[in-house]
Amino acid sequence: MRWSFVRRIAAKEILSTLRDHRAIVSNLIIPLLLLPVIMLGLPLLLGGLFQREATTVTELAVQGVEHLPAELTAAIEAQAAVLVAVDDAEAAVRGDAYPAGLIVSPGFAESVAAGGRAEVVIVVKEANLRAELNAGKLRSAVDAYRRGVVAERLVGAGIDPAVLEPVAVSTLDASTEAERSSGQLAWLIPFFIAIWTLTGGQMTAIDATAGEKERGTLEVLLVAPVRRGEVVVGKFLAVVTFGLSAALMAIVGFVLGGTVLRRLFLPLIGGQGGEMAAMMGGSLTITPTTIALLVVSSVLMAAVVAALLMSVTLFARSFKEAQTYVAPMSFLLIVPAIALQFKDLIGTGSFAYWIPVYNVMILMDDAVKGTARLAPILTTWGVMAALIAALLAFAYLNFKREDVLFRT
Amino acid sequence: MIHVQGLTKRFDELVAVDDVSFDVAAGQVFGLLGPNGAGKTTTLRVLATLLRADGGRATIAGHDVQREPEAVRRAIGVVNGGMGLYDRLTGREILHYFGDLYGMGRVAIERRIEALDGLLDLAGTLDKRAGAFSTGMKQKIVVARAVLHDPQVLFFDEATSGLDVMARRAVLDFSRHYPGEARAVVWSTHVMSEVEELCDRVAVLYRGRVVADDTVAGLKEAADAPSLEQAFFTLVRRSGLAEEQEVAA
Repeated sequence: MRWSFVRRIAAKEILSTLRDHRAIVSNLIIPLLLLPVIMLGLPLLLGGLFQREATTVTELAVQGVEHLPAELTAAIEAQAAVLVAVDDAEAAVRGDAYPAGLIVSPGFAESVAAGGRAEVVIVVKEANLRAELNAGKLRSAVDAYRRGVVAERLVGAGIDPAVLEPVAVSTLDASTEAERSSGQLAWLIPFFIAIWTLTGGQMTAIDATAGEKERGTLEVLLVAPVRRGEVVVGKFLAVVTFGLSAALMAIVGFVLGGTVLRRLFLPLIGGQGGEMAAMMGGSLTITPTTIALLVVSSVLMAAVVAALLMSVTLFARSFKEAQTYVAPMSFLLIVPAIALQFKDLIGTGSFAYWIPVYNVMILMDDAVKGTARLAPILTTWGVMAALIAALLAFAYLNFKREDVLFRT
Repeated sequence: MIHVQGLTKRFDELVAVDDVSFDVAAGQVFGLLGPNGAGKTTTLRVLATLLRADGGRATIAGHDVQREPEAVRRAIGVVNGGMGLYDRLTGREILHYFGDLYGMGRVAIERRIEALDGLLDLAGTLDKRAGAFSTGMKQKIVVARAVLHDPQVLFFDEATSGLDVMARRAVLDFSRHYPGEARAVVWSTHVMSEVEELCDRVAVLYRGRVVADDTVAGLKEAADAPSLEQAFFTLVRRSGLAEEQEVAA
């Protein structure tokens, strides 16, 4: 292997791709912006909306408002709601005049006062998120009123209300700071990095293989005194460069964008919205070790994807045909990403780190949560390195196959 | 300069090149004449080390195509009709890329580009991206790329296909003068007039076999035909291969 030839071929492929404006947009700009927007911008936005909905005074329909006891009315109004009397609460909610409503049965107040059992019905469109948030206000108010009535009755009967709660239950979150702050959408980080290695590398891979065949330049290149192995490795390095650049831009975008968004917006929304943004990844903290693990893992992921791209796209006769081969490859990355969401149920015993691609995603997830350990790291990197070698060997053999090179 | 003996190449059941033999001397333009599917391109690909022969042997400038492929590649240049170039590179960048692959230094490449500019009139192509080239401009860079390293043997495979009349004339003139005393050209085509104008000798290929190998005048005389085209059909008919094909069909 003559590295000067490898470098020359890689440099030509890189220059050629860099001169394609589409590559700059898809490899550098979109990955830089997309991850921060989805991971941080969206939760922050949703958190802000939830917070706003919780504090905005909303009109709620009440059928039979005259039967409502004053205490329950006060409890509902304390939830930032105004009661509007209607004849048919179900029709009013169904017609979207109100986000939620309440049906109070005749004699409600009297029945409760007499120590009997009374009924209220909360009316809501359950598939509507805003309606559910407002129905929540009614549920909280009714529940607070119910607990008050129960306590009053027990005291009246000479019984301590604490008798209803013989066991006090509380939860202690044993997560580390990194695990707590990683949020429930942290799996999106390895998923996006994996997808960007494919998206970023595919244009170069197709252009350097099927594109060369289609233009007729591959034949001329192979007639030059350059060895097939040098051609394969040179093109492979160019594909890795662009796959990796897209993945690294995603990481850079996440780190920089996350810091800016977190510092500017998280303190502003506070309260329930702030908690939601944090739960979804808005307060994720990234240490230098995490970045190093993400970068090395991204290199391995980009190399596997690049070697696979090279092997597959060379079979195609044209750029378009190669694109149809590449499209299903995204499933190879989506399936492990889906599995990663359920890794707590599937289990992450040592066997998981022997499954290529899935293992890198788990490792990235571990890195983000600060739970990466040496043995799984070494297993993952070893398995991926072996896979890269095998795929490169396969690509090399394909570059020597006459039926592949001259398939028309 | 080129020695081909009993060359055979199969693709599964199909025998694309069947026991082909010919010799090309220094200073000659040698024609490979035949219709599509005659085995011309496959023969050239074997000689260019892109395909491995299943039988026979061939040497180019004294190097065996099977055992010394890198030495053969240094000795040859290829111009095919595809006119494939890298659209996002300039003519100069393309020539530097291939010059590097042939182990030429930067200064040597620039000197050679200057010399080729005089021969091929590369003005307008060197600092413009190939994607914006006209067909004629493309063909100039394709030829310049093929002869950049001053190869001893130059292969042209249907090299004028798709060219306008001016560009076609430029390629024909260049090929006629390229061999000089010490080099050789193999001109593969199905166009009779090109063979008549260019070739010192010609091998007629049909269904993978050489049915005749002579000068253009020798072929006409052997077939007792006034034109090369008529001689071609007579020689193919005499070989019996055309009848074999009809029976097979």
